[in-house]
Amino acid sequence: MAITTVPGTTRPDRPASPIPARPRRRSLRRALVDNLTGHAFLIGAVLCFAVFSWYPMIRGIVMSFQRTRRGETTWVGWDNYARILDDPSFWTAWKNTIYFTVLALVLGYAVPFLVAILLNEFRHFRGYLRILVYLPVMLPPASALFLFKYYAYDPSEAGLFNAILAALHLPTSEWMQSPEMTMPAMVIASTWMNMGSAVLIYLAALQNIPGELYEAAELDGAGIWRRILTVTIPQTRLILLLMAMMQIVATMQLFIEPLILANGAGAEDSATSVAYLIYQHGFFQNDLNGAAALGVIMLVVLAGFSAVYARLTSRQD
Amino acid sequence: MARDSGTRTLISHAQLRRGRGKVVYWTLLTVVVVVFTLVFLGPLYWMVTGALKSGQEIAQTPPTLFPKDPQPQNYVDAWNNLDLAKLLFNTFYYAAGALFFQLVLDTAAAYSLSKLRPVLGNVILSLMLATLMIPAMVLIVPQYVTVIDLPILHINLLDSPFAIWLPLVANAFNIFLLKRFFDSIPEELMAAAVMDGATPLRTLWSIILPMSRPILGVVSIFAVTAVWKDFLWPKLVMPSPETRTISVGIYAFSGGTPMNVVVAASVIAAIPTVIIFLIFQRNIMSGLTTGSIKG
Amino acid sequence: MSVPQYRKAAALALVAGLGLSLTACSTKSDDGGSADGKVTITIDCQPVGAQKELLQNWNDDVAEFQRQNPDIIIKSVSVGEQCNNPPDFTARLAGGTMTDVFYGYMTDLQQVLDSGQAMDITEYVNTETIPTWDSVDPALKEVFSDGGKLYAIPVKNYSMGLVYNKVLFQRAGLDPNNPPKTWPEVREAAKKIAALGDGIAGYAEYSAGNTGGWHFTALLYSQGGQILTPDGTKADFNNPLGRQVLQNLKDMRYGDNSMGSRQLLQWGDLLTNAAAGKVGMFIGAPDTTQAIVSQFQGRFQDWAMGPMPGQDGPAKATLGGGEGYFFKKGLTPEQVRAGLKWIAFQKLTPGKGQFDYVRAKPQNYPVGLPQPLLFANGTEAQKQELELRKANANVDTANFAAFEANPVPIKGEPRNAQAIYAILDAAMSGVLTNPNADIDALLKTAEDKVNQLLAAER
Repeated sequence: MAITTVPGTTRPDRPASPIPARPRRRSLRRALVDNLTGHAFLIGAVLCFAVFSWYPMIRGIVMSFQRTRRGETTWVGWDNYARILDDPSFWTAWKNTIYFTVLALVLGYAVPFLVAILLNEFRHFRGYLRILVYLPVMLPPASALFLFKYYAYDPSEAGLFNAILAALHLPTSEWMQSPEMTMPAMVIASTWMNMGSAVLIYLAALQNIPGELYEAAELDGAGIWRRILTVTIPQTRLILLLMAMMQIVATMQLFIEPLILANGAGAEDSATSVAYLIYQHGFFQNDLNGAAALGVIMLVVLAGFSAVYARLTSRQD
Repeated sequence: MARDSGTRTLISHAQLRRGRGKVVYWTLLTVVVVVFTLVFLGPLYWMVTGALKSGQEIAQTPPTLFPKDPQPQNYVDAWNNLDLAKLLFNTFYYAAGALFFQLVLDTAAAYSLSKLRPVLGNVILSLMLATLMIPAMVLIVPQYVTVIDLPILHINLLDSPFAIWLPLVANAFNIFLLKRFFDSIPEELMAAAVMDGATPLRTLWSIILPMSRPILGVVSIFAVTAVWKDFLWPKLVMPSPETRTISVGIYAFSGGTPMNVVVAASVIAAIPTVIIFLIFQRNIMSGLTTGSIKG
Repeated sequence: MSVPQYRKAAALALVAGLGLSLTACSTKSDDGGSADGKVTITIDCQPVGAQKELLQNWNDDVAEFQRQNPDIIIKSVSVGEQCNNPPDFTARLAGGTMTDVFYGYMTDLQQVLDSGQAMDITEYVNTETIPTWDSVDPALKEVFSDGGKLYAIPVKNYSMGLVYNKVLFQRAGLDPNNPPKTWPEVREAAKKIAALGDGIAGYAEYSAGNTGGWHFTALLYSQGGQILTPDGTKADFNNPLGRQVLQNLKDMRYGDNSMGSRQLLQWGDLLTNAAAGKVGMFIGAPDTTQAIVSQFQGRFQDWAMGPMPGQDGPAKATLGGGEGYFFKKGLTPEQVRAGLKWIAFQKLTPGKGQFDYVRAKPQNYPVGLPQPLLFANGTEAQKQELELRKANANVDTANFAAFEANPVPIKGEPRNAQAIYAILDAAMSGVLTNPNADIDALLKTAEDKVNQLLAAER
């Protein structure tokens, strides 16, 4: 966008408005015009929200109580929910999704923060290191995941990871083929390809910490860990909390990793996620209503989680 | 490089310049540079050279570091068979359109909510912000059904770029960022413009927007990366091979294509964005860091 | 630019954005009939660019057909390597974005009917629109019928057997002209082939992307089992037959380690390995060799095919399936007739289209495979097709002699096949990736899920 600054004082388009003769009526019309202008600016975004966000939200809830067969839709009450809850895959999918979320918190959340702290201390190669960390973010997600699927997680020793492990005389793994390793392997791939943005955001937060605080802590005799605990973390608390929330919501929607790395469900359903189950119901089993019910359940769970989270974080203040 | 050497961080500079500190610093720096290069650049090297190997060489134990018998044909096959030019064009086209619609419509909305404040503006804003709580996966099915048959208009948007562009406009985060930024622009500036008889559009164009470049940059980055990174939505709304995005296209072909060709396609797909990133990295980095925190 | 112009530009952009967003959306409907009396129809499953010769053949056929029928315009659409990839197919059905004449599997009939998108074409199909119609196997017509109404034209039919690599057989000291006939024999052969080392799997099997469940079904049929009870209300594989299927695989995978280390394979993964000479045997239809050649850079001289093995003797049954073309609801009678004419020309005329063996012979495309089994035995069309095929064969028909000489009863896929296959993937991945897999538990879980699915159907 080319933007040129135009001094506001140059010249008005029309002659300066004369003093209104009948202030009351004029201000009323004025208010009306102002409001219309305001809404005219809003209308585009509001329409998009209405059609693609608010309406689907309601429609999703409605659909979850309906059933469509041969083009005919009927109300079925809680049938879809009963069916979904009866399905053993539902519980497997939630178990997997929560396991992924927790693992991703341990690895995907802590690692970027520690990397940011480390990078913030270096006075050389700063740009280079930052570009490196951010580079995977620029790959199309499918590209990055195929790289892991075909080269890194190959279960034989022809795979990159197993070759390295074997060279170090460590036990190799079957990665995606082993139900125990499926989730850790997905978290590693996911962290590798996504951590760049988190690192940059943390770096920005770290640079806003006033140096005097560290100075003071050091004078108090605080070591490096103590300084991290008493200065770094409290000073970045807000952004840390925000990122935790965002990451949990994002990881709960785990989809492309199982789809590409595990060809869907993975070994013995060890990769099935709730999002993948929604996809299965909607587009493999021709059951859009069941998929809508799953979506509503996910919404309720995440809303409950957000409420608890908001409660906990506000209490600390 | 030592750009902000004046700022004090976790460890003081003096400490790092002295004897033991200096040794530790340089050892650690060397280790980190080497490890990071291996971790973040290594896989990319593996990808580029792996796609040059033959099917037999890929299955070899232990894997070879350099392709013994490079097969550039894999790249040629990937380019031709997957029609990568078309896929890349589609992706850039969708990204450009998404950028345009978000900049125009979201900026207008945020401006209205921040400065014009029409009746019910607050209600609309809170309804918008409420959608921040709704994860994309929850809406995927009803949204899909909606796009197939738009309410009232009964238009089918499948395979139309609008199916990607318009839902992205409904992005409460963008509106929130923009509105917060506009809120910080002093009212006096606005008042002065109104005194001059400037219309709201003119005020937006000649006063607000020129001041908002940083935040517009941030919104632009978000808009483009959202299209670039999205997978399931384009997979659903762009079912035809001619309209697919690069990620979806590579995935769609992966089932019936030799794996070396799939990886070769992945490499080619990554090249344009990596180049764009390297060119604009300064702007992107500063935009991301300043924008997301202070914006 | 002066200020007012700027403002105009911005206003224009805003209005244009809004206006476009409301009006300029592309609609998918095409009304077919055009002013000059021509009929336009869209048809999918055009080969993709990677299948160079097949694509060329298809385009030549379209040109020739349009020359013969100047009032018909064919618009070809390619929908990917697999013309029916379940999620994409479902998406197209749900969205109504199929082509006028669209490709589907025999197992798709219920889903297509459920979507309300299929047209009843009974009254249009006769020897006038499709000259060879009376020769088409009635069993295939039945598969695409519901309540006495015909919804699709079958264009391909296959049954599965044991596909094996002759070169590897030779290297392993096995007789390439005498493939294993029972599962214990398969196991022995697989052990010898795997002993060649070099990452070669003696026998390879699917376990992901619904293909695992598909092959579980095929293996179960070979044992004499079935996926559902005859009335289609309950799962019927959690029994000694189903257990035997998984036990055979488990023995080969972990007892003998003869199935290679790479698992969780889906369609293309196995064929990629096979094309690279890393697979000794797998079960498949004759045309998998075609995919190995045309898509995965393999050589069809290497491949031969025997009948489906059974547990202790010939297989009790083998999985058969096929493809056809459906017609989208709302087509004009002219469009339907044009579509039928095209299918008759390209798919059901000996010597033309898919049966143009003279054209296919010099291409890197096998002629002489024992398929597509479209015409009933003894009919005129069947004899013509067979003669042409034999005359132009470019593969050693001896490679398929064992398969053809030992016909096994063909059994179709279960109702709701794709959803059931997705469930059975887990049982397959269980025995193929977990050395301590509990076969009974795997079958029990799958049975529960399938029963749950069937209950929900009603």
